[in-house]
Amino acid sequence: MNRHLCVWLFRHPSLNGYLQCHIQLHSHQFRQIHLDTRLQVFRQNRNCILHLLSKNWSRRYCHQDTKMLWKHKALQKYMENLSKEYQTLEQCLQHIPVNEENRRSLNRRHAELAPLAAIYQEIQETEQAIEELESMCKSRQSLALWPRLECSSVIIAHFNLELLDSSNPPTSASQVAGTTGLNKQDEKQLQELALEERQTIDQKINMLYNELFQSLVPKEKYDKNDVILEVTAGRTTGGDICQQFTREIFDMYQNYSCYKHWQFELLNYTPADYGGLHHAAARISGDGVYKHLKYEGGIHRVQRIPEVGLSSRMQRIHTGTMSVIVLPQPDEVDVKLDPKDLRIDTFRAKGAGGQHVNKTDSAVRLVHIPTGLVVECQQERSQIKNKEIAFRVLRARLYQQIIEKDKRQQQSARKLQVGTRAQSERIRTYNFTQDRVSDHRIAYEVRDIKEFLCGGKGLDQLIQRLLQSADEEAIAELLDEHLKSAK
Amino acid sequence: MELWGRMLWALLSGPGRRGSTRGWAFSSWQPQPPLAGLSSAIELVSHWTGVFEKRGIPEARESSEYIVAHVLGAKTFQSLRPALWTQPLTSQQLQCIRELSSRRLQRMPVQYILGEWDFQGLSLRMVPPVFIPRPETEELVEWVLEEVAQRSHAVGSPGSPLILEVGCGSGAISLSLLSQLPQSRVIAVDKREAAISLTHENAQRLRLQDRIWIIHLDMTSERSWTHLPWGPMDLIVSNPPYVFHQDMEQLAPEIRSYEDPAALDGGEEGMDIITHILALAPRLLKDSGSIFLEVDPRHPELVSSWLQSRPDLYLNLVAVRRDFCGSQVECACWHLNVHSPGMESKRRYVLPEVT
Repeated sequence: MNRHLCVWLFRHPSLNGYLQCHIQLHSHQFRQIHLDTRLQVFRQNRNCILHLLSKNWSRRYCHQDTKMLWKHKALQKYMENLSKEYQTLEQCLQHIPVNEENRRSLNRRHAELAPLAAIYQEIQETEQAIEELESMCKSRQSLALWPRLECSSVIIAHFNLELLDSSNPPTSASQVAGTTGLNKQDEKQLQELALEERQTIDQKINMLYNELFQSLVPKEKYDKNDVILEVTAGRTTGGDICQQFTREIFDMYQNYSCYKHWQFELLNYTPADYGGLHHAAARISGDGVYKHLKYEGGIHRVQRIPEVGLSSRMQRIHTGTMSVIVLPQPDEVDVKLDPKDLRIDTFRAKGAGGQHVNKTDSAVRLVHIPTGLVVECQQERSQIKNKEIAFRVLRARLYQQIIEKDKRQQQSARKLQVGTRAQSERIRTYNFTQDRVSDHRIAYEVRDIKEFLCGGKGLDQLIQRLLQSADEEAIAELLDEHLKSAK
Repeated sequence: MELWGRMLWALLSGPGRRGSTRGWAFSSWQPQPPLAGLSSAIELVSHWTGVFEKRGIPEARESSEYIVAHVLGAKTFQSLRPALWTQPLTSQQLQCIRELSSRRLQRMPVQYILGEWDFQGLSLRMVPPVFIPRPETEELVEWVLEEVAQRSHAVGSPGSPLILEVGCGSGAISLSLLSQLPQSRVIAVDKREAAISLTHENAQRLRLQDRIWIIHLDMTSERSWTHLPWGPMDLIVSNPPYVFHQDMEQLAPEIRSYEDPAALDGGEEGMDIITHILALAPRLLKDSGSIFLEVDPRHPELVSSWLQSRPDLYLNLVAVRRDFCGSQVECACWHLNVHSPGMESKRRYVLPEVT
C-alpha cells in the first residue's frame, strides 16, 4: 500500500505572507501537521504567482478558480516557448550566417529573452528538486534513492504510519538510507530537516517566481513621470454635497503626497461657497508618482447624510460624484510645442503697455490652436511664472492626448484602465452611512472612511492592491495574446 | 447728505454692538457701508471690488484681491490657503485692509501699497517713487538669458558675464540676471539716490550683494563713465525712460502721481537716454558684446536710422522682439539687441579713412 505524502503550499491571500504547510496523509488514518512558517515578505506580495504555479491543487483550496489553473498552464507554455525561442536564437547567432540588420534585431531579441530564459531555467531546476524531494516521501522504497540526490543536506522525512512505529534513531543520511525502519525520534528529526530543506527551496522558488513575474509584466511607459492631478465636482440637483466631497478628496491626495514624501504644488484652486471645492489642480512630483496614482482617475461617488452645507437640512442620504483626472507630466522633449500653434492672452486692456501702463493683473491664458485646448493660470504675481505654469499644464494635457491615441490603438479588455475610457467610469464609492469605501474594479472594501480620507496607510494599501491586480491582468493579457498567436 | 450719513452710521455702530472693537478711520469722510465683524476673505474682496468700481478705480477686482491676500499672508488670492477663503477675519486684519484700500482709492499703485512685487519670480521691495518693473521687462531678461546660454563658452568662468545695467530702479533686471547666472557680475547705476538704496535693500534681501556694484551716477553726464570700477562689459542691459514727452500727461494717475517722471520721460522722441546708452558702446562694451534695450513700439525704426547715422559706434541692430502678447493685441513695447561686432570689422572700417 502506498501511503504517500502530499505536501503542497497553501498560501493565504493575506499581506503577511504566512506559509502554511499542510502535511497531510492520505489514508484512513489521518494526521495533519499544521505548521506556520514565516517566509520572507518581498516588497510586493505576489500571492497570485503561487496560486498560478503551485503544482498540487486541492479541492479544498477554495481561493482558486479555474481561471488560475488555465493561466498556470498558459504561463508554463508561454515560458516553454520563450525558452525554445531563446535557444533557437542562440543556435542561429552562432552557426547560421545572417546579414547585419537581421543580426542586430536577433541580437536585441536574444538580449531581451536572456534574463527570462535564465529565470525559467532556474525555476525548472528548483522545481525538479522539489519533485525529487516529494517523490522521496512517496514510498518507502525511495529511500534507496537518497545517495543520488545532489543536495548536500537533504534528509527526507518519510511519513508513513508504519515508519512511525519503528525505532532505531539514525545518525546520518546514509544510515537512514541503509535502515528500513525509523523510530519516533528519527521521525521527528527527519521531519524537521525535511521541512527546513523544503522551506529553503520554497523561498528560492518564491523568489524566482517573483523575478519572473517582474520581468514579464510589461513596463508602463509613463510610470516614473510626475503628474498633474485635477479634481472636479460633479453636478447634483441641489445642495453642495459634490463640492464638499471634492474638497475632502483633494485633501486626501494632498496628505497622500505627504505620506509618500512627494512634492505637492498647487496650480489652481476654485472654491465653492460654504467651504466646498469646484475645481482644483496640483502638480505632484517624486518617485513613481504616475505609477501609483494612475488608477485614481475616474468618477468617485459619495453617499452620505450631509453634516454641513446646504444639503444638511434634510437628514436624507444624498449621492454625489466628483471626477479625478491624473495626467502624466512629460519632459520638455516629449511634447513639441510650435509657437505658431499657440495664442497667448494676457488680461490687459488692448493698447498701450510697457512703461505707459501699470497693470497688476498677471494672469495668462494659453490657447493651443490645433487642438483647442485652453489653459489659464493666475497663481503668481509674476506674469512669466504664470506663463511657465500654463505651459506645463498645456504640455501635460497634450501629452495625455498622445497617450490616449496610443492606448486607443491597443484594444484592451482590462478592468483597470487609464485614460479617457476610465474617466467616465465610476471606480469607487465612499459610503459614509455604512462607513465603507468600495473600489468596484477589484471588489475591494475597506472600513473607516475617516482614516481612509487621511490619505495614509489605508489609501496606500488600496493602491498596492490595484497595482497588483493590474499586473495580474497584464500577464493574463500577455498570455492570451500568446495563445491566440499560437493558434 | 454727508452729515446724515455720519449720524446714521454712529447710530448703527454704537458701542457694544457685536462686541468687537472696530477702529473706524474716518479720515476720508466717505460714508461707507458698515462691515460685519465676521466677514470672510471672499466677502471682503467682493465688497471692496464694489467700492473701487464705484469710484472708477481701474483693476478693481485685482486690486482688492491682492490687498486681501497680502493681509492674509499670500501673494495672490488664488494661492491663498483654501481654508482661509471662508474663515472670518480678525479686526486687525479688517483694519489693515481698510487702510490699504483707502490708499488704493487715492490711485496709489498696488505695488506701492503692498510695498512689494514679484519680478521673474523674485520678491522685491517697492517704494515710491522708484519705478515699478513691468511684466514686459521680464521678457527682456528671458532674452538676455537665452543669449548668454548660447554663448556658453563665456559663461562659467567666474565673473562672467559682466553686465552693466543703466537705470536700475528697484534692481529688478540686475537681480534677476544675477540669480539666474550664478557666475555673473553686475554693475548697476542710477541717477536717483532712492533707486540706489532700494536696489541695495533688494540685493541684500536676496543675498546677491556680493556680486553687484551699485553706483549713484548720471550716465548722461559726460564724465560719468570714467567712474566705473570695471570694464569693458559683456552686456549692457536697460529699460531706459522711453515715453515720448508729449505722452507723459496722458499716463494714468497711478503713474503720474506716484512714479518718478525721470524714469519715464525720454524726451521729445523718447530717444534721449537710449542714444546716450548706445553712445557708450565704444568705451564700455567689449567686442562681440551686446546691448539689450526695452523701447517704445515706435523706436525700432528710429533706433535703426540713428545707428546708421553713427557709424563711429560700430553697432548693428541685429534683432528685435515684441512682447509675447500675440499678434491680435497691439504690442506694448519692443526689445532690441544691438550688437557690437568684433575687432575685425572695426579695423576694416578704419582702413578706408586712410588715404
